[in-house]
Amino acid sequence: MDKITYEIVRSSLYAIAREMKIAMMRTAASPIIHAGGDASAAIFDADMQLVAQGNDIPTMLGSAVISTKASVEAVGRKRLRPGDVIISNDVYLGGGNHQPDVQFTRPIFYEGAIIAFAMTRGHWSDIGGQTPGSYSPKTWDIFGEGIRIPPVLIFRDDEPVRDVVNLIVQNTRDPASRLLDIKAQYAGTFVGDDRIRALAAKYGKQNIAAAMAESLEHSERLMRAEIAKIPDGVYAAEDYLEPIGESADLLPIKVKVTVQGDRMVFDYTGSAPQVRGGINCPFAVTCNSTWFTVKAITDATIPINQGCYRPVGIIVPEGTVLNCRYPASVVSGNTETSPRVIDLLLKALAPAVPQRVIGQSHCAACPGIFAGNDPDERRSRSLNRKYVTLVDVHAGGLGARPDKDGINAIRVHVGNTGAQSIELIERQFPLRVEEWSIARDTGGAGRWRGGCAAKRVYRVLFDEATCTISGERGRVAPDGAFGGRAGALFDARIERRGGGVETIPSKGDQLVLARDDRVTIQPAGSGGYGDPHERPPERVLADVLDGYISSEAARSLYGVAIANGQIDEATTRRLRAGRGVGG
Amino acid sequence: MKKIGIDVGGTFTDVILMDDATGAVFTAKVPTTPRDPARGAVNGVRRVLELASSQGPEIGFIGHGSTIATNMLVEGKAARAALVTTKGFRDILEIRRVSRHDRADLYDLFFTNPPPLVPRRWRFEADERVLFDGAVETGLSAAETERIIAEIESSGAESVAVCLINSHANAAHERALVDALREKLPAVFATASYEVNPEIYEYERTSTTVINSILGPRCGSYIRDFEQTMRASKVAGDVLFMQSNGGLARGEIVAQRPVALLESGPAGGVTAAAKLCERLKLPNAITGDMGGTTFDVSLIRGYRAETRSSGLVNTHAVRFPTIDIESIGAGGGSVAWIDVGGGVHVGPQSAGAEPGPACYGRGGDQPTVTDCNVVLGYVDAETFLGGEFRLDADAARRVIERDLAKPLGCSVLEAARIVRAVANALMAQAIRLMTVERGYDPREFAYICYGGAGPVHAVDLATELEIPTVVVPRLPGLFSAFGMLVADQTYDFQIPVLRNLDEMTAEDFAGKVTELARQVKETLREAPLSDADLVLRPRVDCRYLGQAESLAVELPEGAVTAATLAALREAFEAEHRRHWNFTQPDRPISVVNLRLQAVSPTRFDQAAQMERARGAPQPGRTRKVLMDGAIAALPVYARDSLGSGHAIKGPGIVEEASSSLVFPAGRKVSVDAEGNLIVTAE
Repeated sequence: MDKITYEIVRSSLYAIAREMKIAMMRTAASPIIHAGGDASAAIFDADMQLVAQGNDIPTMLGSAVISTKASVEAVGRKRLRPGDVIISNDVYLGGGNHQPDVQFTRPIFYEGAIIAFAMTRGHWSDIGGQTPGSYSPKTWDIFGEGIRIPPVLIFRDDEPVRDVVNLIVQNTRDPASRLLDIKAQYAGTFVGDDRIRALAAKYGKQNIAAAMAESLEHSERLMRAEIAKIPDGVYAAEDYLEPIGESADLLPIKVKVTVQGDRMVFDYTGSAPQVRGGINCPFAVTCNSTWFTVKAITDATIPINQGCYRPVGIIVPEGTVLNCRYPASVVSGNTETSPRVIDLLLKALAPAVPQRVIGQSHCAACPGIFAGNDPDERRSRSLNRKYVTLVDVHAGGLGARPDKDGINAIRVHVGNTGAQSIELIERQFPLRVEEWSIARDTGGAGRWRGGCAAKRVYRVLFDEATCTISGERGRVAPDGAFGGRAGALFDARIERRGGGVETIPSKGDQLVLARDDRVTIQPAGSGGYGDPHERPPERVLADVLDGYISSEAARSLYGVAIANGQIDEATTRRLRAGRGVGG
Repeated sequence: MKKIGIDVGGTFTDVILMDDATGAVFTAKVPTTPRDPARGAVNGVRRVLELASSQGPEIGFIGHGSTIATNMLVEGKAARAALVTTKGFRDILEIRRVSRHDRADLYDLFFTNPPPLVPRRWRFEADERVLFDGAVETGLSAAETERIIAEIESSGAESVAVCLINSHANAAHERALVDALREKLPAVFATASYEVNPEIYEYERTSTTVINSILGPRCGSYIRDFEQTMRASKVAGDVLFMQSNGGLARGEIVAQRPVALLESGPAGGVTAAAKLCERLKLPNAITGDMGGTTFDVSLIRGYRAETRSSGLVNTHAVRFPTIDIESIGAGGGSVAWIDVGGGVHVGPQSAGAEPGPACYGRGGDQPTVTDCNVVLGYVDAETFLGGEFRLDADAARRVIERDLAKPLGCSVLEAARIVRAVANALMAQAIRLMTVERGYDPREFAYICYGGAGPVHAVDLATELEIPTVVVPRLPGLFSAFGMLVADQTYDFQIPVLRNLDEMTAEDFAGKVTELARQVKETLREAPLSDADLVLRPRVDCRYLGQAESLAVELPEGAVTAATLAALREAFEAEHRRHWNFTQPDRPISVVNLRLQAVSPTRFDQAAQMERARGAPQPGRTRKVLMDGAIAALPVYARDSLGSGHAIKGPGIVEEASSSLVFPAGRKVSVDAEGNLIVTAE
C-alpha cells in the first residue's frame, strides 16, 4: 500500500472515532454522558484489535481492548450479520471495567465480510442494583452493583430487539432515559459503520486492513523507541489501598517493573487478595492502569492504539484486588483504585524517569449520589418523573510536575467525567449548592505546589433521600515527589438539621438524608514536587494572596514569612537557613 | 460611493478600496502594528487613499475587521479585571467543569493549564442568592453593594465582570451591582452576565462575561482611536466593525460587547463568500481559507453562513453567536516532518510569514507545504506575488531532500507529493467534519476558496470530496478585507426560556418574542437604523428534555399561534433527524433560549462587471507541474488577461499576483461577469 493511502486511511479512522463520540454525546440522556462527557468511542480491526480512538476516557478505552474481544467471542462471530449491535456491561461475562459502563459493539461488514468493529461506551447514570445511581462501594457481590448484561444482541437488522431492551431498561431506575441512552449509543455505532464502509468503498477493503495493521505497527515502533530510552533495571514500589469499613487494615498493592531494552514487564505479585466491596479491579482495569502509565511516562503524542501496548507485559495473580475473580464487586476499582495504581507505578518509576513523574493525586471520580422523590409536584410533572437521581463527580488536585505546579480542582489520570452545572442541578433536583470553592492548604507543599481540592456543600431539599459517596485517600494521603510534601486527605461530612455533625468515611455506607441536612464533599488534594524551601518566595506570596495557602503554611512548610501582604525578607532568610537545602 | 474594507491580521493588514460607481478596486498591504494597533489600520487607509488618489471626504463607508481581541486573549495582554460572584462561588471560573477535555490530551500529565482569566485575589463574593426559579433567597443589601464597590476600587482593576448564580432566571441583583459600579467607578469597564449571555450554566456564562470584561478597556480605546482618526481624516460615512457573527456593528455597541470581536478577522471572508453565493445563485457552499498557518473551513447554507453559539478560545468557554469555523494547522507555512516510526505529518507547527518557508529565503530551514508546492510546480517561483518576490526553489529542494526524502528513502519529488497529499487529506477531513459530521453531503455544495494558498489546493480537495463546482473569487488573497465592505449590520440578542414546548401557549411564546424585541429596540435606539431597514430573524434553541446540546431552529414567520408551535416541533424533529438519524416522539422538547438577530442590509447590489472577453484566451508560457504522477508542461494564463465569458479546458494554470490555480484535464475554468473563476467538470 502506498504511503499516501495509508496516511489518509489512518487519519480517517481517528476522525471517525471522534465523530462517533460526538453523535453519542449530543443525544444521550444520562447527564453524566452528555454534560460530563463520560463516554467513549473506538474502532477495532477485524481481529478486535483497537486501531483508533477519540480523545476520550482512558479507562473506557483501555478496558475496551479486553471487552470488545470478549463481546464478539461470547456472541459468536459466525452469528453476526450486518445491522447487528452487541450490548454488554458485565465484568466477568464481557470483560467490562465496571457495570455502569455499557458497551455497544457493532460488526462492520463490507462485501460479505467483517472489516472492522465500531464500539461506543457510555456511563449510564443508573444500571439498577442495590443503590440508586449504582455506585455503592459497600455491596456483598457483583449482583448488588446492577444488572449483569452479558454480551447479547440489542439490535438486529438495525432494529432494536425489543424484548432485550425492555428487560434491560426495566432493571434500571429511569427506563425512559435509558432508552435515549440506547438510541444515542446505537447512533454512534451507526455513524461508524457508515463512515468505515464509505472508506472501504473508496480505498478497497485490503487497503483498509493493511492500513490498520500498519497503524498498529507504527505506534508499536514509536513506543518501543521510547521505552528503549528508559534505563534498564528493576523498579519496585508498594502502597496501600483503603478497604471498605474504617477499622479494617489497609491493603498492600505492590509492583515490580522490569525494563529491558524496548520492553517493560509489570508484575503485581504480592498485592492483597480480593476483598468484599467494590474496590477490586477486574483484569481489564489493571491492564488499563498499566497502559495509561506507560503512555504517560513516554510520549503522549504517539498515535494511540493497541500497538502502543504490545511492548508491555502484565503479570497479576488471579484472586487479588488487582485481578479479582467472580463474584467480587468492582464499581470503584475503575474510578478510585485504578488511579491509585497509576500513582504506585509513578512512584516505582520515579528513579528511572524523574522528569516524567508527578506528585500523587486525589485519585477519585468521587461520585456523590443523591436519590429520592422530588417533592416539587410541578417540576415532577414538567420533567416527567418523580423519582430522581443525581450523580455528580467532585474535584481534587493533580500532583505537582517537574517543571510546573499541579492543577487545582480537576479530574486526573484515567477518568475525565466533568461535573455538572450547579444551575442545572438546582433546576432539576431538590438540592441547593451553597458553596463550591477551592480549599486552602490542600495542595502539598513543594518547589512546585500540588493542586488543591474543591469543596462542595449541598443543602438537601428532598424530604428523604439516600446518599452514597465513594471517595479515595481518606486515610492514605497523596504523597509528594523528590521532597515535595503530601496533600490533604479526602474530607466529607453531614451537618444534620437538628445539629450534630457526622463524618463520612471515604468508602462508607449508604446514608439517609432529611430536608435541610447539609452535606460537604471535598476530595483529596495532591502532592508537591521538590523541596518547598526551593520555591521562590514571590510564588509563595502569590499563593497566600490568592488564598491557595495560608500564611501559617507559608511559614511552617515553605519557610517564607509574610507580613502585611509582603515578604518579610529577613525572617524568610532565617527560616530557610535553619534547614539545609533538600532537608 | 467609495468604500474601504480593512482586515487586520497577525502579520499584515489588508486594505481594499472599492468605487461602486466605476467598479475600480485598489488594494494595499501594510504591516500590522501590534504595539499601537490602530496605527497599522490607519496607515493602510492612507496608503489605499493615495493609490486611489482619493480623499477622506469621498469615503462613504469603512468596514473594519481585526484579530486584536483574539491576540489579546492568547497573549495574555487583556485588561486587569475583577470578578463579582455569588457568595460561595468565586472559584467557578477556575474549577470550570472539572474535566480536562478543554485543556489536555488525556494521557498527558504535563499539560499547561492556562491561568484563570481573573486571579483569585480579585474574585469577590457578594452575599446574595437567587434560586433556580428566580426567587430571591438572600437579598442584595445596599451595604453589601457598597462593600463590593470598595473592594473593586482598592483592587485597582481596569474592568469588572458581574456574574451571579441563577441570574438567567432573575437578573435584578446583577443589574443593581453593575449599575452601581458604573455610577461609582465610571473609569472601570463594567459588564454583567445578563447583558452578554443570559443563559443557564454558570461556568460558561461567567467565562463569557469575564472575557467581555477583560477585552473591554483595550478594544474600547482601539475603537475610539480608530474612529477619531478617521473623523480627523474627514471620512464622511459610517465606520463599522466586523463581529464573530459575520455582521458589522456600530463602534459604540461593539465597545460594550467586545466578546463579539473574537472571530472578527475570519468572519470577513465567510461573509464575503455568502454574499458571493447570493450573486452566483449558489445557495450552499463550503468556504476554504488557506493562509500561512491555518486552513479555515466554514459552511454557507441557504445563502447564510452557519453559526454556532458556543466554543472555546484559548481553552476558555465563550458563548456568543459565531460563524462556525473549523480551523486546522495546515497552511502554506505549516512544517512537514517525519516521526521516528516513519510517519509523515504536516503542522501544527508553522514557519508563519517570518521566517516563512525555506523558499522565501529569509532563514526558514524546515520544509513547509509551500516548499513542496514550489517543487511540484503548484506555486511558481518566478511569478509569486507578481514576481516582486522571487522564490528560492533550490532552498526548498535542499530542505525537502534533507528532512523528508532521505529519511523516507525516496526522491524529492515523491516526498513533496506525499506531503501535498497529507496536507490535502487534513484539509479534506476538516471539510468532512464541517459537512458530514453535521449531516450534510459535500457533493451538494460548491467550494469557494480564498486566502493566498486557497486556490493552490482547491481542485484536489473538490476532486477528493466529489464537489462539482469550485469558485475562485477575484483577489482571493484580499477576500476577507472585501467581506468587510459587503457585510450587513447584524446584532444578536437572546433571552432564556427553559420551558417545555408542550407546556407553552402561543401567548407565552409571543410574550417572550415581544420582550426580546423590546430589548433589541432599546439597544439599537441610538443607532440610526430605521425599523424599515431592520429584518428580525428569530431562532429557538431546542433539545429533548435531558439532552445537553441544543439545536437551533428557525421560528416560522408571522405572528405566533398554535400552528407556529406545532411547526416549531416539526422543525426541531426534522433537524434532529437530519443531525442524528432518529427522533424521540414521546420525549418532551425543552425550549432553552429564544434568539433574535437584527439585520440591517448593506446595500451592495452588484460587483463591478468585467469587460466581456474578446477573442480566445491566450496562454503565455508553460509551467512544469507534477500531476497524476507525471511531470507535464501546462499552459499558463495570466488572470489579468482573461475576460468575462472566457472558458479554458484543462489541463492548465491560471496565475495571479496572490495565488495560482492548477486544473487537470476533465475540468474547465470559466470566467463569469464579475471576474470569478468557476471550475467545473468539462
